[in-house]
Amino acid sequence: MAVQEIAGVTAPPGRGLSIGQRRALTHAAIFISLIGLWEAASRLGWLDPLFYPRPSDILVSFWLIYVQNGNVGWNLYVTLGLVLAGWVAGSVLGVGLGALVGFNPLVRRFLKPYVIVLEATPRIAVAPLLIAALGFGAPSKIAIIMLVCFFAPFINTLSGVVNVDPGRMELFRSLRASKLQVMRKLVLPDAVPVIMAGERLALTAALSGALVAEFIQRDQGIGSMILIYTRNLNMASAFACIFTLTIVGFLMFKGMELVDQRVAYWKNEAGLKRVSDRRRARAQAEGVI
Amino acid sequence: MATQTALHSPSTDTGGRSVVIRGQDVGKTFGGGAVVALEGASFEIPKGAFVSLVGPSGCGKSTLLRLISGLIDRTSGELTVHGKPVSGPHTDVGMMFQRATLLDWRTSLENVLLPSEITRTPTRADKDRAAELLRLVGLKDFLFAFPSQLSGGMQQRVALARLLQTGADILLLDEPFGALDEFTRERLNIELMRIVAEVGATTLFVTHNIAEAIFLADQVFVMTPRPGRIVEIVDVPFERPRPLSIQTSPEFNALVARVRDLFGGVH
Repeated sequence: MAVQEIAGVTAPPGRGLSIGQRRALTHAAIFISLIGLWEAASRLGWLDPLFYPRPSDILVSFWLIYVQNGNVGWNLYVTLGLVLAGWVAGSVLGVGLGALVGFNPLVRRFLKPYVIVLEATPRIAVAPLLIAALGFGAPSKIAIIMLVCFFAPFINTLSGVVNVDPGRMELFRSLRASKLQVMRKLVLPDAVPVIMAGERLALTAALSGALVAEFIQRDQGIGSMILIYTRNLNMASAFACIFTLTIVGFLMFKGMELVDQRVAYWKNEAGLKRVSDRRRARAQAEGVI
Repeated sequence: MATQTALHSPSTDTGGRSVVIRGQDVGKTFGGGAVVALEGASFEIPKGAFVSLVGPSGCGKSTLLRLISGLIDRTSGELTVHGKPVSGPHTDVGMMFQRATLLDWRTSLENVLLPSEITRTPTRADKDRAAELLRLVGLKDFLFAFPSQLSGGMQQRVALARLLQTGADILLLDEPFGALDEFTRERLNIELMRIVAEVGATTLFVTHNIAEAIFLADQVFVMTPRPGRIVEIVDVPFERPRPLSIQTSPEFNALVARVRDLFGGVH
């Protein structure tokens, strides 16, 4: 099963550093070399500083947008708000529709062609139409994000619901479980890990969707900042915004991983132990054991 | 009611005990009659009996089990459980499969509680019984372990406890230990005999291992394929409890040879 395997590498004896420490040092060395190379290339005129600002300039821009101007805070807040709203809306739509289609073979058969058509169409192409319909502002942006990110939860929920182990299904049948019980006690819990995987993809898509929506509307948010800085040929600040998004994306991904480990607790060792201990404590409190 | 002439073998003597499952000319075809999975199966199974169904693949042993459970419907004949004709899944029987089919997100205790949850909100008594049954199958230290933390044999023990939790007095076991190694299977077979004797259940046990079938059972239904049929019902005379050592006795081996002969050129 999907239990994490840790390669059992034992550290060879050498220079008093653990393998982890030495790896960290190597990573740091490579990173610093790359940055140094970039800086040098820019200073020596190999790179056009207009389009490829020096790392030192980007660092200055970080200072500018975070501290001196302080304009990144509000814009980041706006963008993340959009991402959250669009992601939640897309998830509700995706999981709901996926469950509906998954549970209903008839709906599945007749909806399938539309799903294929929708999958083949780049959903971002609809963005201008959404703006035309909903006007400028948050609603059309959220709609764009929703459209961009609903597909992964939809398709994953659908496949999770459809691919129920036949042996377990037979067990529930032999126990004379109702349809609702099959859904609540078998199909949905079984689909949780694959739904969570879909949610992870959706969150990444939502961030991209938010940026595109902001590129189009260019009023506020990190996406607008990047666009405006680029137009003003302030590439260093644009890069500072991009690296900000790198960090945001990384944190979101890590956060999602933590949520995943808690929700799909039976897929990782720590989760198994934690829930097992909790259940034992509860049973002891009830006096079952 | 029961026309004795229809029976394949006179050895379905119930010894004065009441008949729990009765089949008369039971047949099952698939694909509109294209495939005959089972044909003309007639038998009587007394209360508390341990019956083994043995035969090669395609002999209809799993089909017969599923017919009795009501998971599939027969195409001909009469089949009653506790005197009532079988139609659809019913609560008199519990099934166990080759795969444990446990729910990965539930602890052993919660898995065993599942049958109770299906019928009602589990009571304190249900929980106590589930814990008790897990002790009975030798898992008292694993009440709060998850399936992924258990070995294959332990998972089947949980499945057995779950089966007993249904409260069904007829246990249908479809090669329950077939995927386990020889040693684990032998141990679990012995424990299975002890446990079903303790709860007084009527047991049908599907296997393709002749020695295992004889060792466990009071009666062995010998079945052959194309079409699936019960060719003979063999009574097993050995006293209980049975030690493993009876498997090396001449009487035991004579019985194994007799059953093997019944398969003729089929096996």
